[in-house]
Amino acid sequence: MDLALQLLFTGIGIGAVYSLVALGFVLIFRATNVVNFAQGEFSMVAAYLMVVAVEAGLPYWAAFIVALLGMALLGAVFNLGVYYPLRHRSYLPVIIATIGASILLANSVLAIYGPQPQVLEGWFETPGIQVGPVYLDSQYLLIIGVTICLVIFNFWFFEKTLLGKKLQATSQDKEMASLLGISVSTMIMITFIYSAVLGGLAGILVAPVLFVSIQMGSTIALKAFAATIIGGFGDVAGAIIGGLALGVIETFGAAYVSVPYKDGFAFLVLIAFLIFRPQGIFGERVAEKA
Amino acid sequence: MRLTRRDFAAGIAAGIAAPYLIKSANAQGATIKIGMCAPVTGPAAESGGYAIKGAKLALEAVNKAGGILGKQGELIVEDDQTTNPGIVLAFSKLASQPDIVGFLGSIRSTQVHAMAPDVIKLGKPVMIGGTDPNLTHMGNQWLFRCRPNDSYSGRVIAEYGVTTLAKKKWAVLHSTDAFGTAGGKALTAALEKLGAPPVLDQGYANQSQDFTPVVLAIKQSGADILGSYFTFENDLGIFARQLRQLGVNIPWVGSPSIVNITALKLAGPALYNTYGVADYAEDSSEGSKAFGKIYRDAVKVAPDNQSSWTFDAINVMAQAINKAGTTEPAKIREAILAIKKFPGAEGEYNFDQNGDGLHGYNIVKNEKGNITFDKHIEFND
Repeated sequence: MDLALQLLFTGIGIGAVYSLVALGFVLIFRATNVVNFAQGEFSMVAAYLMVVAVEAGLPYWAAFIVALLGMALLGAVFNLGVYYPLRHRSYLPVIIATIGASILLANSVLAIYGPQPQVLEGWFETPGIQVGPVYLDSQYLLIIGVTICLVIFNFWFFEKTLLGKKLQATSQDKEMASLLGISVSTMIMITFIYSAVLGGLAGILVAPVLFVSIQMGSTIALKAFAATIIGGFGDVAGAIIGGLALGVIETFGAAYVSVPYKDGFAFLVLIAFLIFRPQGIFGERVAEKA
Repeated sequence: MRLTRRDFAAGIAAGIAAPYLIKSANAQGATIKIGMCAPVTGPAAESGGYAIKGAKLALEAVNKAGGILGKQGELIVEDDQTTNPGIVLAFSKLASQPDIVGFLGSIRSTQVHAMAPDVIKLGKPVMIGGTDPNLTHMGNQWLFRCRPNDSYSGRVIAEYGVTTLAKKKWAVLHSTDAFGTAGGKALTAALEKLGAPPVLDQGYANQSQDFTPVVLAIKQSGADILGSYFTFENDLGIFARQLRQLGVNIPWVGSPSIVNITALKLAGPALYNTYGVADYAEDSSEGSKAFGKIYRDAVKVAPDNQSSWTFDAINVMAQAINKAGTTEPAKIREAILAIKKFPGAEGEYNFDQNGDGLHGYNIVKNEKGNITFDKHIEFND
């Protein structure tokens, strides 16, 4: 039982990271109908920005704000440079452009900062707390807390605010949204900025656990992409549930079946969903909406 | 001018012969070229940078001392991207240059396995740092190892843990790639020989983001000592931190990656008081001390095995070519195998007929981040 509790906590912690990145995938997909394969690199860039800001002597909270502002800027530039010129083309050129952008981002960071993995200290001086038989890593606690807050914020933002409703309208039918006087390009710009900030947030939060390296983004993004499909592509709740489920499944699979095949469990689940429920957990609801 | 049949035939012959003549002329160029596959990008890019620096420092010294066959040595580096397809591509690019007389391969056994078939086809000497014992025992006569192989490291880890630390309940943790699997097997075999078979033999996949299941398995096994073979420093760093956080404080004797610079930086205090078998230990010999000084002066960081093996590889190859008096591959091979009592940064080289140059390891301890030399264990079999 103690073992299961420890595994559950860790699984939820790592799953929360997948959820945050998956959320970025979903938001951009809903707004543009394309998958942004540079979403993982947003996490990596933000983690490096954070390291640079901390090394420059900024207090941790200020470095955090600077890194997120940097990500907002990157999201805007990404929209203008990668999506906007191709917005009238089919989804394929845009997807290829996002793959190209991800390679560009990874190699730019490599060229500027070098290949050295970096250590980013966590928010708290105490690495964790022992609650009975379970050790709660403070960074994972923070990640879980931020994910819960973001779920609440997303619900409030998309369901209760005018801007959120405009974003939803744009994602559901761009032409109709445009006829209703909504600036579609502005909404898409906001979506890219928000998604870049979300990806960046995931990168900054997970950096003290996984270290800051050029590969960190692609490793997380692969799982987040799987989580998005499991949850139901295009569904915010699906991304959250999919990410958490993936984290828990792979952690328990590693502990009770086989450690070397840990990644295999995540992708076995993905394959099972693609065969038996390709629309994902919340797929039907989205289909009904459409 | 009238073109006769004879002129035409001569023209065709010249056309066919020209590329070979040009290649031959290039091969006798102004420098002696040595090719190097190194991870300039990918997860091992940092250690790849150290490897290139080590090789360059050795070549500078060789050139200052008169060069190779009276010519200056030149290093041609290709990025292996820290992947198997990457090193195959990098090696094929280098192999297509006929004026390259010898090569430096990878420190990663998996990559050496990937490039090995092309090495046989090319038939030129390749110095390697991969420590899977099979690499020099699978009939490839062109691979020469400048680090001790894992049959020695496994024996040294087992010997030190069982005899010196008096621990018998072992957990063996290893990567599931070629290096980790071979290392894990060697350690398990050595422990069984010493009457202490492991209570846990645990593999893990490279680039894991979480080691909680592994740490809990170690905890549940009741092991009182841990032996490890980690391939990537990121994995080692994450594991070390989680091991300590989850309250496992048993003695830990690891393969050489446990004492390399990147791992020490990433894991920090989580690696304090651990032991490692190290092919490079600065205080282990005069050659090691000399390399340490050259490296620190030039690079301004502490040396480790990533740079020491490439430093030795260049020196061994240069000495072999000079002794052979030619760049003919078969003669260079004979000269490498004839090298005995050569003082390198990694230790004293005595090549055997398999192509293994070193036959022992150092035991070192991490004392608050400083790596201190304990003893050297040499094998004669």
